[in-house]
Amino acid sequence: MLTHHSYLILSAILFSLGALGVLIRRNAIIIFMCIEMMLNSVNLAFVSLSKYLGNIDGQIFVFFIMTVAAAEAAVGLALMIAFYNNRESVEVEDLNVMKW
Amino acid sequence: MLGAYLPIIVLVIVAALFGLVSVVMSSIIGQKKPSPVKLQPYECGCEPVGSARERFSIKFYLIAMLFILFDIECVFLYPWAVLYKRLGLFGLAEMGLFIVILFVGYIYVWKKGALEWE
Amino acid sequence: MDIQTLFFAVVAAVAILSGILVITCRNPINSALSLVMTFFCLATFYVMLDAPFMAAIQVIVYAGAIMVLIIFVIMLLNVRVESGKKYTHGVLIGSIMAVLLLFEAFYFLNRSSLTGARGMIDANVVQNVGHVELIGRAMYTDFLLPFEITSILLLVAIIGAVILAKKKI
Repeated sequence: MLTHHSYLILSAILFSLGALGVLIRRNAIIIFMCIEMMLNSVNLAFVSLSKYLGNIDGQIFVFFIMTVAAAEAAVGLALMIAFYNNRESVEVEDLNVMKW
Repeated sequence: MLGAYLPIIVLVIVAALFGLVSVVMSSIIGQKKPSPVKLQPYECGCEPVGSARERFSIKFYLIAMLFILFDIECVFLYPWAVLYKRLGLFGLAEMGLFIVILFVGYIYVWKKGALEWE
Repeated sequence: MDIQTLFFAVVAAVAILSGILVITCRNPINSALSLVMTFFCLATFYVMLDAPFMAAIQVIVYAGAIMVLIIFVIMLLNVRVESGKKYTHGVLIGSIMAVLLLFEAFYFLNRSSLTGARGMIDANVVQNVGHVELIGRAMYTDFLLPFEITSILLLVAIIGAVILAKKKI
């Protein structure tokens, strides 16, 4: 039987996968995609709880999360382009100018 | 509820099968006599000039970025349009404020010349 | 096992597999296309959860706009294949942290029960009133202030991205 539990467990798995990607990959663009995946898993949790509670508010939050994700995509990728223009690389281990 | 989506599922399955079958079948029954001319990328009969892996210009990024942000604006317009009559003048005012604030951004982008294909 | 559970299991397997591909592919383009697959699977779940408008928005915004931007950036920077190592030197610690996070989530989900403000929305209401209209009613009355603040967020994003990306302003 399909309940909110199945969706929440799937959401947890996707969130952990995204977190794993953020922690282990070197390429900043792939780290960015993993962050998008984590945001999406949270969206899934919101929509499933919204359905099983019979309350539409969770889906409004999904709207705002999508807006934040779009704004984040625009600014984050612009930052990546600016970084590439300076260092000719998008690997996070080259982001070490401010390292003490 | 889900039964209404059955045609979409059937369409997806048919589309996937069509792509798969045509690739697999042509690799099984097709003749393979490669020559340098045949292996060139097809560009409407012209000979390809340079590599296809050139760096794109940043102009494309600016346009795509503006597309996303105004796409989000359009997404907010859908529920508003459905509810337009019920919300009345109040709805017009709130959406007017929303659009005016984004219009400031549009004017900014325009004045900075980010829309020009220089 | 009814047909809906079976469908859920198949789509969930596809979503998790493409999620694994996102973090293991060497070529960023392959990762991006796997991520599109994950987004489509999530759109399928939204349809199963009686939220068809959310599914449409998911395809329009994520698969249609954000992924286009990411693929443009990959082609702009032309980082097709990563040079040298794929992973950071913290692979082991990172994996342990992620597994711990997963087990923590499983532990709390198994002990949890569904609480919160219950509403009146079920599949019949969505069918009769329409999902877009339900969303609109909540968005343009209860969530009016966040909606207006969203426009300021988008304005800031427009200005920030133009300043960062344009060579001479």
